Amino acid sequence: MYSVLICDDSLVARKQVAKCLPEEWEVAVHFAKHGQEAITALREGKGQLLLLDLNMPVMDGYQVLEAIQEQKLPTKVIVISGDIQPEAHQRVKRLGALEFIEKPVKPAALETLLQQHRILESDGEEDKPELANLDPEIRDIYQEITNIAMGQAGDHLARILNVFVKLPIPNVNLIEASELHMMLQDIEDKDTVSGICQGFVGPGICGEALFILSDSSFNDVAKILNISEEVDDQMQLELLMDAANILIGTCLNGLASQLDMHFSQGHPEVLGQHRNITELININKTRWRRTLAIELSYGLEGYQVHCDLVLLVTEESMETMNNKLSHLLED
Amino acid sequence: MTDEALNDLTEFHWMMDMLQTVDVGLVVLNREFQINLWNGFMESHSGLLPSQVRGKSLFTLFPEVNESWFRNKARPVFELKNRAFIIWEQRPYLLKFPNYRPITGTEDFMYQNITLSPLISTTGKVDNICMMIYDVTDVAVGKKVLESAQVTLSELNEKVAERKRLA
Repeated sequence: MYSVLICDDSLVARKQVAKCLPEEWEVAVHFAKHGQEAITALREGKGQLLLLDLNMPVMDGYQVLEAIQEQKLPTKVIVISGDIQPEAHQRVKRLGALEFIEKPVKPAALETLLQQHRILESDGEEDKPELANLDPEIRDIYQEITNIAMGQAGDHLARILNVFVKLPIPNVNLIEASELHMMLQDIEDKDTVSGICQGFVGPGICGEALFILSDSSFNDVAKILNISEEVDDQMQLELLMDAANILIGTCLNGLASQLDMHFSQGHPEVLGQHRNITELININKTRWRRTLAIELSYGLEGYQVHCDLVLLVTEESMETMNNKLSHLLED
Repeated sequence: MTDEALNDLTEFHWMMDMLQTVDVGLVVLNREFQINLWNGFMESHSGLLPSQVRGKSLFTLFPEVNESWFRNKARPVFELKNRAFIIWEQRPYLLKFPNYRPITGTEDFMYQNITLSPLISTTGKVDNICMMIYDVTDVAVGKKVLESAQVTLSELNEKVAERKRLA
């Protein structure tokens, strides 16, 4: 459940603020009498949202904001204070507070702010501990079916390329849009990697495969694929596509056969080359919050080839997948 | 003929009709890259009748296709039962089909995305593959226009910056 920490030295003020929280909002409310108590509570994970007074004994609101920044405590702060000087306003924002509300708090004003910052929608699901809460059993199953798919893919690759594939251990996680954004930003910033994305869809399941190849790998990929021509930009794209086709295809085939379904694959898109990655993600940001990510890092023995394959599956698809895989959960 | 058999036959007929009229090129190739199926899209854009291409090699009919390159692309499809994709950014086209929109078409030829998909026979082997050709001319033109607009914009930005520096 989403947790809210109300920090004020006055009991009346604490009660008043608590009453102003939207009624239908299911939250765990905690209280702190001064800054020191607030910091202790935050460290214990009580307070994804902190409603903070400024003038308090022991440790005032400014000091709390500083401490939050220094200790990188994961919380969103809305300052509630009677101090209405513009300078106070600016100072708390500089110290990382989202908003400043004057006392006494009005429920409507607070609700508007909570909506503006999308705090109401979060329902606590964005809560880190909850996020990591991908059922260990389910995670195990996903990891296992990916392992099997990888085994098949590795065998395929070894046969067609005559190389030994170091099979990766799949990393299965639920990730947030922002995390994916960071990952993609990394591709965009570094000119040293290239990427391809490709959508796939089966009954009740849809997702995207992301293939990322480090540029230093191109020469060796060319060697493996028996290409003698010079590796220029055009050739790099060819190699990227060939490698992506084989890896994405074999992995999806392996997964599909275990799920007893068939995936359609869309046309691949080159990332970064023709589309700004940031734009690509920004547009979609509102449509999804979290996604299941299966990350695979490949290496080929004896070659300088590093590539990553990330399968992103929508949260809704997990239901279908869990149903299909329920036989693995039994006994 | 029983009703059921008649129904099956009607459905089969519809199916064939759809394959024939769908706005995607469909070609079935065997391991020697000889053509086994050639749908209406292919017929219209190439001007070649199915009877003219059946059993003939893709490479003899279309010398513009780089044989070793195409064989390389098709290899994982035959051997791994894997789908292969070729996008217009790699090669604008596989088969050079002229622009068919004389008024609003701006390009001389059709940009193509290609999908090669395995056709698994009753024995579980891949003896034939299906090649799907998508017309992506509008997409390609759109992206090219966008890119040139971006270049113009960044040039303008540079000019403005230059002027500010001088002023």
